[in-house]
Amino acid sequence: MAEMNQEVMTKSQLEYLRNQRTKEMRHQLVSFGLMIFLTFMAFILAASDVPAQFTIPIVLGFAFIQVILQFFYFMHMKDNGHDFAKLLIMTGMYFAIAFVVCMIYIVWIGAPIE
Amino acid sequence: MANMEYNVPSERWPVHPETATAEGKNKFVGFWIFLAGETVLFASLFATYLALKDSVPSDDHLLASELFHLPLAFVMTMLLLTSSLTSVYAIYHMRNNNFQKMQLWLGITALLGAGFLALEIYEFVVYVGLGHTFRSSAFGSAFYFLIGTHGFHVIVGLIWVTLLILRNANRGMSVYTAAKVNTFTLYWHFIDVVWVFIFTIVYLLGVL
Amino acid sequence: MAQTSTQKKGVGSVIWEYLTTVDHKKIGILYLIAGGFFFALGGIEAMLIRLQLAVPNNDFLSAGLYNEMITMHGTTMIFLAAMPLLFAFMNAVVPLQIGARDLAFPFLNSMGVWLFILGGIFLNLSWFMGGAPDAGWTSYASLSIDSPGHGVNFYALGLQITGAGTLMTGINFATTIITMRAPGMTYMRMPLFTWTTLVAAILIVFAFPPLTIGVFLLIFDRMFGSNFFIVEAGGNTIIWEHLFWIFGHPEVYILILPAFGIFSEIFSVFARKRLFGYSAMVFATLLIGFFGFMVWAHHMFTVGLGPTANAIFAVATMAIAVPTGIKIFNWIATIWGGSIEFTTPMLYAVAFIPSFVMGGVTGIMQAAAPADYQYHDSYFIVAHFHYVIVGGVVFGLLAGLHYYWPIMFNTMLNEVLGKITFVLFVFGFHLTFLIQHFLGLWGMPRRVFTFLDGQGYNAANMISTVGAFFMAAGVIILLINIVMTLVKNERVGTDPWGDGRTLEWSLPLPVPYYNFAQVPLVRGLDAYWIEKNEGDGKMMPAESIEDFHMPNNSIIPLIMSLGLFIASFGALYFADGKDWAIDAVSALDAKPWALPVLVIGLGITFVSMGVRSWKDDLGYYVTKEEIKKDLEELERGAK
Repeated sequence: MAEMNQEVMTKSQLEYLRNQRTKEMRHQLVSFGLMIFLTFMAFILAASDVPAQFTIPIVLGFAFIQVILQFFYFMHMKDNGHDFAKLLIMTGMYFAIAFVVCMIYIVWIGAPIE
Repeated sequence: MANMEYNVPSERWPVHPETATAEGKNKFVGFWIFLAGETVLFASLFATYLALKDSVPSDDHLLASELFHLPLAFVMTMLLLTSSLTSVYAIYHMRNNNFQKMQLWLGITALLGAGFLALEIYEFVVYVGLGHTFRSSAFGSAFYFLIGTHGFHVIVGLIWVTLLILRNANRGMSVYTAAKVNTFTLYWHFIDVVWVFIFTIVYLLGVL
Repeated sequence: MAQTSTQKKGVGSVIWEYLTTVDHKKIGILYLIAGGFFFALGGIEAMLIRLQLAVPNNDFLSAGLYNEMITMHGTTMIFLAAMPLLFAFMNAVVPLQIGARDLAFPFLNSMGVWLFILGGIFLNLSWFMGGAPDAGWTSYASLSIDSPGHGVNFYALGLQITGAGTLMTGINFATTIITMRAPGMTYMRMPLFTWTTLVAAILIVFAFPPLTIGVFLLIFDRMFGSNFFIVEAGGNTIIWEHLFWIFGHPEVYILILPAFGIFSEIFSVFARKRLFGYSAMVFATLLIGFFGFMVWAHHMFTVGLGPTANAIFAVATMAIAVPTGIKIFNWIATIWGGSIEFTTPMLYAVAFIPSFVMGGVTGIMQAAAPADYQYHDSYFIVAHFHYVIVGGVVFGLLAGLHYYWPIMFNTMLNEVLGKITFVLFVFGFHLTFLIQHFLGLWGMPRRVFTFLDGQGYNAANMISTVGAFFMAAGVIILLINIVMTLVKNERVGTDPWGDGRTLEWSLPLPVPYYNFAQVPLVRGLDAYWIEKNEGDGKMMPAESIEDFHMPNNSIIPLIMSLGLFIASFGALYFADGKDWAIDAVSALDAKPWALPVLVIGLGITFVSMGVRSWKDDLGYYVTKEEIKKDLEELERGAK
């Protein structure tokens, strides 16, 4: 349990690691800024008088971009060792979209293609 | 009984403390698998909500476009998004072996989460006052089940992080602690991911 | 905590050991006992159904009791018998097959078994507490909302508890297989049972959440006054059908894939050949798993989804036949030219191929949506799914029981009795269900408690009932076999079948509680076979003898599950006599104690979760000295 196979690091290695982390933190701040911006734009669009068939795809697109940022940057999915996480989350997302689309199409509207 | 080394000097602190032990790695992989399952869980909830949206027994029930209040949803979104960032800071300090700062940022995350929860409860109270309740219509049931399940996840997250902060306060930093904190932050980010879809699909598309 | 097998222990301490165990081998035995018990229960229900249908106009069971019987038969067999029995073999074998010392989350594993056992008990308590659920195992919302009394409440709450346990077990196995494989055990060197377990575990992760949500909708509608399925308030009962089948179709693959895995192992061991087309088998497994999620609406062709939806789902369904066909041909090619030994497991495996193909072919017939309008709700469907579930899963379970018995209990089941069981069971199975295809085509509807004289159904139904008695006789002989074997207790040594190919057969029997004294080095597919033919017949260790740590036992999983069990009683009676309740329960006496019971139960669960999180649970160490001593003892025993 307590086994940590960590070699003792030298001062300069540690320094380098810290720098890398600060850099990564800067990336995360940028993606946070982007998320805030996207949220803001989405709310503005929904509150304005823009036609709905225009708003819906854009707002949904914003949501997907935000979620990708959240997964890849905040949850570190871009790092190594996340292959299985990526595979499973993407499969999950695929099933999720399939379920939602089928349910809306089949339950809610019902056979719109005549 | 196995021992756990606390407050490891930074020179020997692993690069990825959360996955430095076999247990930490298991927890990490297992939790991602759990999150994949949660994706499908929330998809089922969204599908139910969309199928039952505006499905009310009679004209005197309020519909989505008359009900939702965008400024409130915006403030809630900002609180939750920011709490996601603060938990990233907690992980940053965890990797830098800075226990005090990690605890501080976790505390801020909890406060922001509590703010979100308070606003959500306020929102529910207002809606119930307007006659939109869990038992008033199928729309009401689906709305409260979707938002309520998310809210329940927030409550669980708040209890979880509070327990973590308290239990770790008199233990300090170790790879065991790190794995626990990392799992929590993954959970917290996922709650935020779900909220992104909720505010888009329920609130933004609801008022159109 | 560590105990050697030489210590004699009292009954009390053995029970305590099993209540608190986190050892996958013991949990496997718990699954086997509980799953076997529920299998017997479901079997008795099946016999009662067949007795009722033996002759026309029978009044052996009343119509209402018959509905309860078919509901409980289906629910018990799927959720409480087939899946747990598969989990029993997964628990007993998978960690040994991949060279691990335990599962990734031993605590969760224990939690899973207790949730399953308590959920199963809860569901079956309905027989004594005002009537069992009677809306069919699918519990379609229009029926289940209407069903008076508490029967459907038992169904909903019981499934929620067992479902939670199954989800945990799924996550656990997926994680274990991803992270805990021995050095050299790459993905394409994993035995096929491990592969199918991995895919089934991932299917569980994606399939059970929709069931959780669907069952929650039912719980809320029946017990908490919501309106998801109440049409007057805007509800829609089709939502239940979708959520149930989004879960329900992958569920049949969750059942059949591990059975495929067991058969793949048996074929290659008893044909003494490497599995033919290993990579194609893996690919087919993945493909079946993926397609399994894309076909759920073929259970709903007659709902009126429209021609577009029906066409899409019909084509997707037929596509599944392709990977399944690949598997069938690979199994046949594995036996082809092999040096075949017809042991009991091999007999089941050989009988499985034609039986399952017959079930598969009728499946393709139903996949054609227009034809399905004719088959729907007839005995043809009953024949089809019993051919795939019994001919596939139950044959797999019986084969696995004989095949893996030595690993679980260090003895061998009697081969002669095993073969008698096989003959009775397989003959009885075909006698029971083959004729039901024709009954269906002649027009006999399913789920109806009796039939009239003079419709031409009499002889066929009698034949079917006689067949069921053959199956029952087979199971009774199996039980006799088990009791005899346990009483005789003739121990066997390593590799009792003589031709074991995979890691689990390289271990000494009984398997030490830590499984591997040294984690083995895997040099290829069929690791043990390679060492037998190219090495000295022993696995090469991948590490020197070192201390390693093992997880502590814990009673918390049982307490946590018990909390949910108690809370379920609170939820069960919560709506009684309330003015917002559905008609089914609103006229009953109000139960003011229901809410406190609900709160106390949930409190127990959440407090024990907190306790678990608060305490450091670092496990204990198995020392070098102890392992060396064990290895020496083993050496002496071998001489």
